[in-house]
Amino acid sequence: MVGAVLVAALVTVAVLAPVLSAKDPLACDVEHGLSALGVPLPPSGDAVLGTDQLGRDVWARVVAGAGTSLSIAALATLIALVIGLSIGLLAGYAGNAIDNALMRLVDLFLAFPFLLLAILLAALFRQADLASSNAPVFLTLGAVGWMTMARMIRGKTAVLARSEMIMAARAIGASPGQIVVRHILPNVAGTVIVVTALGFAQNLLAESVLSYLGLGPPPPAPTWGRMLYEGRTYFRIAPHLVLVPGAAILLAVIGFNLLGEGLRDAADAKVQR
Amino acid sequence: MNQLGGVIAALLVAGCAPADRSPKFRTTGATTPRDGGTLRFAVKDQVPTLDPTIANDENALYVLHPLFDTLIDFAPNDLEIVPRLAERWSVSPDGLLYTFELRPGITFSDGVPITAAHFKYSLERALRTADSPFNEYLRDIEGAHDVMAGSAATCLGITTPRERELKVKLAQVNPALLGILTMSFATPQRAEYVRAAGDQLRRQPDATGPFMLERWDEGERVVLKRNPHYFDPSRAHLDKIEMLENVASDAQFQMFERAELDAAEKLAVPDYLFVMTEPAWQPYVHRSTVMNSVGSRMNVRVKPFDDRRVRQALNYALDKRHTQRLLNGTTVPAHGILPPGMFGRDPDLEPYPHDVVKARALLAEAGYPGGVDVDYVTTNDDETQKVAESLQSDLAEVGVRIHLTVMSYATWITAIGKPSGPPFSFMTWAADFPDPSAFLDPLFHSQRDRDGSSNNSFYANPALDALLDAARQEPDRGRREALYRRAEQILHDDAPWIWDYHRETTEVIQPYVGGYKPHPIWERDYTSAWLDVGADGAPVAR
Repeated sequence: MVGAVLVAALVTVAVLAPVLSAKDPLACDVEHGLSALGVPLPPSGDAVLGTDQLGRDVWARVVAGAGTSLSIAALATLIALVIGLSIGLLAGYAGNAIDNALMRLVDLFLAFPFLLLAILLAALFRQADLASSNAPVFLTLGAVGWMTMARMIRGKTAVLARSEMIMAARAIGASPGQIVVRHILPNVAGTVIVVTALGFAQNLLAESVLSYLGLGPPPPAPTWGRMLYEGRTYFRIAPHLVLVPGAAILLAVIGFNLLGEGLRDAADAKVQR
Repeated sequence: MNQLGGVIAALLVAGCAPADRSPKFRTTGATTPRDGGTLRFAVKDQVPTLDPTIANDENALYVLHPLFDTLIDFAPNDLEIVPRLAERWSVSPDGLLYTFELRPGITFSDGVPITAAHFKYSLERALRTADSPFNEYLRDIEGAHDVMAGSAATCLGITTPRERELKVKLAQVNPALLGILTMSFATPQRAEYVRAAGDQLRRQPDATGPFMLERWDEGERVVLKRNPHYFDPSRAHLDKIEMLENVASDAQFQMFERAELDAAEKLAVPDYLFVMTEPAWQPYVHRSTVMNSVGSRMNVRVKPFDDRRVRQALNYALDKRHTQRLLNGTTVPAHGILPPGMFGRDPDLEPYPHDVVKARALLAEAGYPGGVDVDYVTTNDDETQKVAESLQSDLAEVGVRIHLTVMSYATWITAIGKPSGPPFSFMTWAADFPDPSAFLDPLFHSQRDRDGSSNNSFYANPALDALLDAARQEPDRGRREALYRRAEQILHDDAPWIWDYHRETTEVIQPYVGGYKPHPIWERDYTSAWLDVGADGAPVAR
């Protein structure tokens, strides 16, 4: 419940960003947004969450960052879901050699440490596409995030494929396509929703990590990870530069994790009934 | 939720508790240099090579100068030229013939004597090596062209009449020659050593200076140790100099505060403001104006930068007061490439004013009334990124939309040297020797305009070339200065760069570091530094 509220609040903030802050998140205001010594200004009536190292409004940036961070996490999760769902269904339903081959592929990908693989891919995508955009980031996260989904969906599918219900469907002459779409997919939907919500939280965090490592969307895009990264050196004299995006990441990740767990509990309850 | 709030509050309180950040150590009061110990400092990037004929970046510079001696050198803390491996030298009245008398008893770090032939080989190696950034500096030596073109094996103008005598004959006068010969590439080298090392030469410097390489864990640290065969043992006091690589500037300062480093430079903004305002640190802070110039260079052959009006418009669009404040007032606005104090700089030439109306008009005149989209490359450094984002914001005001790409220092420096590389990028240059030709010739002379060149604006202007050639060879100081001022005016107007600022640097050292001051050319040169520590080698606590 708390998760749903947090997530709903985040999505609202992301959608209403232009309304919530009249200020341009990209507009540097060196003259008024920094002290004479060049120090970011603390929260005040003029800038509720203070200004950053370029005199930009932190509230405007954290709100705009919700959109960037959430959309990257959403696209990455979608890519992971498409790959994970296809491979999971195919492996689980086909079984035997195909299952074996696909699961070894999953093992192969899982064998790489997540962050190393992500850094490698992000660097490659960046090189291939010098034009500044978010594409390298969500492609990377999508490409390294599908394995767990595939695993979980495959497990569920494999059990179902050997159930009496499916045997019955086969007996009356349903084609494999029909069986997967009509009978298996609705029955794994609960699992899919749960892994999606959890995957979303993971991608949100991973995007921050990549941005923190300088592999996220290029500047001046306001993403929470980048804000955290750029603000880190100012921790002593302008802690709001770190605390604000840090809190945003914390709330968002907690929100999606709670939502995922809540959905899992709901799904389990349904099964037990 | 309450618990979470408690944890956050506890963290905040811990983070805000006042810590004593004044210096932890003091001097012992020793007045004479103490021998021994290791001086540790760090840099943000890594050293690409230690081959003196190739290395040309500031990180390498910090270890190259202790490793490699040259005929002549700049005095410590000064720009006066003093003898080093040469005992004395003379210049013929026509300014064409330089004769160097080598000091007796000078050797390589393995004890093999250095002779004049080693200097000849080294200079010829620079001429022959196509990717040496230094060969162009030797262009005025008689016969240099033939060696560069590959049509001669040895250089006619460099001769060794006796084992301890080197003569350099110029085809035309070049008052900057002595400055050029202070650079590390002019250190004596051995043909047989270079051949034996092969492609490992970059890791195996054949030291001739007060220090030699102990080891280089690439990307981690360069460790120098004292050269036992050095002719003047009184010049070095430290046992070792250790330079850590790839340490972010904020991490450097944290290490410095924990006394894990003995010096910290290029401080992050909060650290800079801290050391500048903390009275106890003041005696150990060195502010120096290194001879540098920082801005954005454009490839003048690529649209839209091929139009001078566009380049001028960008110069008008930049508000240099912004950079000044972002960098805490440590900059001087630039009107061109030559930094304040440099001979030949015209102090009356005004920087481009911030004029949005004029910038828009120039862009419209050039055929970009609706503005233009351009890519911009900068390095992954807090400061350069901040400056780039501010530039982006300034140029957006006149309709020039910048798309930023951030690269590592090494990728950036290679990419911008290629004509097909990014046409618009951050750029910085520091003088190799105190002469306007150390800025103007490498950056804007058309002879330097080739693949991988230092003229990475690919600027070619016969009128400027003629001025630079004439100025380089002009023995009369007054006339030479007038020529350089005219060259500056041409470049100011043609604007192959967005002229932004000249940077002052701040370095803070531990109280126990003695005999050190940043050098205007060598910058962080710890060759003659010493550690004023207790008898046990540990610094004395306050």
